[in-house]
Amino acid sequence: MAAFAAPALLIPVTSSAASRRRRNSSANASFSRPRGNSSATAYFSRPHSPNSSSMQSPKPSKSPSFLLKYLISPESLGLSAASCILFLLAKPVFSGCCSIFNFGSGGGGGGVGGGGGSDGGQGGGFWSRIFSPAAIAKDDEPQQGWDSHGLPANIVVQLNKLSRFKKYKVSEIKFLDRRHGSTVGTEDSLSEISSLRPGGIYNKAQLHKELETLATCGMFDKVDLETKTNPDGTISITIPFLEYTWPSIDRFRCINVGLMPQSKPIEKDPDMTLKEMLEYERSLAKDYRRRIERSRPCLLPIAVQTEISKMLRQRLNVNARSLRRIGKMVQQWYYENGYAGAQVVNVYVSNTKEVVCEVVEGDITQLVIQFQDKLGNICKGKTHFGVIERELPMQLRPGQVLNIEAGQQAFRNIDSLTLFSNIELNPRSDEKNEGGIIVEVKLKEPEYKSAEVSTEWSIVPGRGGRPTLASIQPGGTVSFEHRNIKGLNRSLLGSVTTSNFLNPQDDLGFKLEYVHPYLDGVYNPRNRTFHASCFNSRKLSPVFTGGPGIEEVPPVWVDRAGVKANITEKFTRQSKFTYGLVMEEITMRDEGGRIAANAQRVLPSGGVSADGPPTTLSGTGVDRIAFLQANITRDNTKFLNGAIVGERNVFQLDQGLGIGSKFPFFNRHQLSVTRFLQLKQVEEGAGKPPPPVLVLHGQFGGCVGDLPSYDAFTLGGPYSVRGYNMGELGAARNILELAAELRIPLRNTHVYVFAEHGNDLGSSKDVKGNPTEVYRRMGHGSSYGVGAKLGLMRAEYAVDRNSGTGAVFFRFGERF
Amino acid sequence: MAGQLVKEWTAIQQFPAATQEKLVDLLGKLKSQNVDTLTILVMGKGGVGKSSTVNSVIGERVVTVSAFQSETPRPVMVSRSRSGFTLNIIDTPGLVEGGYVSGQVLDTIKSFLGRLLLTKTIDVLLYVDRLDSYRVDDLDKQVVQAITDSFGKEIWHKAIAVLTHAQLSPPDTLSYVEFFSKRSESLLKCIRQGARISKRDAQNFAIPVALVENSGRCNKNEGDEKILPTGTPWIPNLVQTITGLALNGKGGIVIDQKLIEGPNANDRGKLFIPLILALQYLFVIKPIQKRIKDDVARETRPSWA
Repeated sequence: MAAFAAPALLIPVTSSAASRRRRNSSANASFSRPRGNSSATAYFSRPHSPNSSSMQSPKPSKSPSFLLKYLISPESLGLSAASCILFLLAKPVFSGCCSIFNFGSGGGGGGVGGGGGSDGGQGGGFWSRIFSPAAIAKDDEPQQGWDSHGLPANIVVQLNKLSRFKKYKVSEIKFLDRRHGSTVGTEDSLSEISSLRPGGIYNKAQLHKELETLATCGMFDKVDLETKTNPDGTISITIPFLEYTWPSIDRFRCINVGLMPQSKPIEKDPDMTLKEMLEYERSLAKDYRRRIERSRPCLLPIAVQTEISKMLRQRLNVNARSLRRIGKMVQQWYYENGYAGAQVVNVYVSNTKEVVCEVVEGDITQLVIQFQDKLGNICKGKTHFGVIERELPMQLRPGQVLNIEAGQQAFRNIDSLTLFSNIELNPRSDEKNEGGIIVEVKLKEPEYKSAEVSTEWSIVPGRGGRPTLASIQPGGTVSFEHRNIKGLNRSLLGSVTTSNFLNPQDDLGFKLEYVHPYLDGVYNPRNRTFHASCFNSRKLSPVFTGGPGIEEVPPVWVDRAGVKANITEKFTRQSKFTYGLVMEEITMRDEGGRIAANAQRVLPSGGVSADGPPTTLSGTGVDRIAFLQANITRDNTKFLNGAIVGERNVFQLDQGLGIGSKFPFFNRHQLSVTRFLQLKQVEEGAGKPPPPVLVLHGQFGGCVGDLPSYDAFTLGGPYSVRGYNMGELGAARNILELAAELRIPLRNTHVYVFAEHGNDLGSSKDVKGNPTEVYRRMGHGSSYGVGAKLGLMRAEYAVDRNSGTGAVFFRFGERF
Repeated sequence: MAGQLVKEWTAIQQFPAATQEKLVDLLGKLKSQNVDTLTILVMGKGGVGKSSTVNSVIGERVVTVSAFQSETPRPVMVSRSRSGFTLNIIDTPGLVEGGYVSGQVLDTIKSFLGRLLLTKTIDVLLYVDRLDSYRVDDLDKQVVQAITDSFGKEIWHKAIAVLTHAQLSPPDTLSYVEFFSKRSESLLKCIRQGARISKRDAQNFAIPVALVENSGRCNKNEGDEKILPTGTPWIPNLVQTITGLALNGKGGIVIDQKLIEGPNANDRGKLFIPLILALQYLFVIKPIQKRIKDDVARETRPSWA
C-alpha cells in the first residue's frame, strides 16, 4: 500500500466516488419551514443518536463500497472530500447511513433516514447488508434460496475448493488474530471492514473478492479466509490475520486538507526501471511534503490532540485498528461539535514517525441566496440581499467551516424576519472546489400587500325578545398591510375597528403603524429601527378602584389617542434601548362614556358624588400632552433546561416637555431589577432537570412634577402585588415593590412560593385628590402564597396580609 | 365680607342681662386691643354639637340642627357685628364620614375658607367633642391629625377644646369635677398625640378646655344664665376663653392659597427636573448600557462561533 515513497499507510475513510457523485447530484438537505399554506412540513434537525460513537459520519468500514473503491483506485488521496457531506439523501439507497440534516422536501423520507442514521451500528449494518456489493451483485438473481455446501460437517475447506456454482450461506464470521491467537469480536472495527455479514449468502467469486479486498486494504501483513462446513449446510468463515504494526509512535497531528488541489496520480508503470522507480518515489515524496506544508491548521482543539498523543504514547505499537480508532475519535469530535461537513479522510503513519490525521473540514466556498416563485422556479426576489445576509451568522460565510448550529441559527434568524413563506437552507458540495461546500438559501416570498375587511352584525333582542330594526348594527374591521416595502422589510399596517359603522365615534379603534428597520443602513451592523404609530386605546383606570372596604367604585375609563415615534436600538436578542416622542390626548370617561373631570366617590349613605379626585391635570377631563419617552432594557436571561436564569433590568423614563394642557412638566421614572438566581449547578441538555431558581425582584417608580391621575403608579394586582386586585393597595406618586419567589422544578413544570410587598412610601397624598385615601386604600400591603405553573397558566393561592385572608387565583403569563 | 351679609348682632339682646353685660365687656376688651374682627372656626366629628354651639353663642338659630343626622352638608359662616366689632363663626360639617376621616370634607372647608376669607386669619379654633364620650380612640387622633395636616401645628395654639353635653351625671364613683378633668385630660392627650405637640410645647401653651351645654333643659341660675353643673354660666365663660386666646399674642392662622390647596406636590421639585434627568442619564441609562455591552462581550458563544 505504499502509495508514496514515504512508507505511509493510508487508511482511507471515505465512501466511493461513485456514490459521491450520486450524492452531489441529489444532496438535498434542507432547513425548511412551514408557513401559511406552504406544504413543506419538514424541519431541520440533527438526529439524536443513542450511541453517537457509531453515529459519526465516516463509518468507513460500514460504507461497503469503500473497500470496493479501494480496489478500483488505491490513490486514496484522490478521494473527494465532498463525499463526506453526509447529509441524508433523498433516497436512502445512496445513504452512507449517516444523516446529519434531515431531508426537507419529503417528511416521511427524512424521518426514515434519520432513524436509519441514528440507529448507529445496527442501522449501518442493515443498510450495508442491503446495499453491500454482494447484495447489489445479487440484485439480478433471486434473493431467496441458498445451496447447502453438500460436504461433511465440521471440515475446513480451502476457499478455492468451494464450488463456483453454489451460493453459500454464511452463518458466522470470525476474525482470528494470529499474533495473539484470539478471535476478535464482531463489535471490533475489523468486522466493519468486511462486507460479509453473518446470515449473508455469497458465492465463491464474492468470497474471493472479499479476501482480495482485505488483503489490499493495507491493514494486514497477512490475511486469509477459511471456511468451515456446518451440519446445517451453512458455512462458518474464519479470517486469520496478522496485523501491520508500527513501533511506538507518540506524536499526533491533525491537518485540514480541504480545498487543496488534487495531485494528479502518476500512473505507475509496472515495467519501470530502478531509476524511474526512484524518480517516481521522490516525486511522490515531494508531493506529499507540499501537501503537508500547504495544509491548514484544523479546528480540532489542542486538548483533544494532546489526549490522542497521550493515548499513543501508552501503547507499545500502533496497528491499523488503532489508527482507525483515532480517525473515529477525531471524526466524532467534529460531529459532536456540529461540523456536519467534516470528514476524516486519512489516518496514517508518516515517515516522520507521526500519526497524521487528514481532515476535510467542509469549508464554505460560496453563499448563494435564491428566490423561488410559487412553482419553485428561481426568480428575482423583492427582498434586498442585505436584509438576508445580515441574518446569517459569520460562521456561514465563505471561508468558514460549515457548522450545523450556524445553519440552524441562520434558519431561525431568517425565520424571525417573517418575510418568507418558505425557507430552505441547503448545503451542497462544490463541484469546482473539492471539499468545498456551497450554502444555498432558497426563499419563497409571499404577497406583501394585503387588505382585509371583516364584518359582523350585531342584533340585540328588544322588548318581547324580538330583535328590533334599530338594534341591528353593522360592525367590523378594515385593515391593510404593506410589508417589505422596497424590499427592505419596512412595513405599513393599518386597521380600523368598530362595532357600529353607522355610529363609529362610540368605539372606533384605529391603528396605523409604520416600521422602518435598518435605520443605519442594511450593511451597518448597528440595528436601529424606527417606529411611528397612530393609536387609540381604552382602559379601565386602576387608580379609581376601591380598597377592601368598598365594594363598588364607579369606574373611570382612560381613552388615549395619539401619535408616537421612536427609535429602537437592539443590542442583543432581548436587550434594547428605545427613545422617542409621544403626543397624546387623554380623555377620562365615566361608565356612560361622558367626560369625567372628577372621579365619582361613594358616600357613606350609598349615594354617589361626582366630587372625587380630579382625573386630569387640566381639570376638564381632557388632557393633551407631549413628552419624551425612553426605555432601556437589559435582559440576559436564558432558558436553562426550561428554567429562566439571568438578570433583567428595565428603566423607563417619561420626560414631560411642558407642552400640553397646563404645560405639564414632569419626570416620571421606573426602574425594575429582576434576578433569576440559579440555586444549583445543573448540566445543560435536553431532558435534564432544571435547577431550582430564586427570583428576586424590586421596582421603584417615581414622578417629579405634574402628575395626572392616569399616570400615577398603582399598587396591587397580578403583576404588582399578588393577592390583591389591580390598584387595590393604592395609587401613588412614588412606589416601591419588592418580591421574592422560589421556584422548585417538579416534573415538567415548577411550583413556587412567593412573598411580595408594595409600598407607596407615603406619597399617595401627593397625588391630586389623594385617590388612595378617597377610596379607602391602605397605600401599602404584603402578600405571600404558593402556586404552580400549569402550561401557560399559573394557579396560585395568595394570602393578603392586610386582611389576612387568602384566595386562589388563576392567571395567564408570568409575574416576572 | 364679600357676598356675605353682615347682620347686626341683635340676638345678643336675647341673652340674660348678666351674660349680655359680660359679653359686651369682653368685646370692649377686644376692641381696646385693636381687634375688631374675630373669626372662629368650629370643627370636630359629626354629631358632637358643633352647630348647636354656634347657635348658642350667637343666641339665635342660625344653623339648622337636627337630633339624628348631620344637617350641615357644607360649611356655613355666620357673621354678626356690634358697634364696629365683627364676629365670624364658621360652622363645618363633621370630619368623619363612614368611619374614616374625610379628606373631602376638609377640602370643602378649605375651599370655603379660600372663597370667603382669603388673606384673613382664623383667630380661634373650637375643637368640639362630647364630654360624655368615655374614651378617645384612633379616629379622634386621626381627626386631630387631619386638622393639623391641613392647617398646621400652629392652629393648636389658637384652639379651645370644647366639650359639649356638659350637663351629665358622671359615673357613680367619680365626682363631676374629677370626671371632667379625666375627660379633658384624655382629650388633650389625644390632641397632643394627633398633632404631635411635644410635652414642653404643651406646657407652654396649654390648650384651654371649655364646657358647653346646648340643651334647652340646661340648668339656669338666678340671672337666667345657662349654667354648668359646677355653677358657672358657660356662655360668658366660653367667650372669655375665646377672648383670652385671641389675645394670647400668637398670630392667627392666615388663610392663603397654600393653606387652601395644601402643598402642591405637582410643583415640588420641578426645578430639579433637568438635574434629575441628567443624573438619570449618567447614573442609570449609561451604566445599564455598559452592562449590556459587558453582556454582549461575555455572552457564552456556542462552540462553533
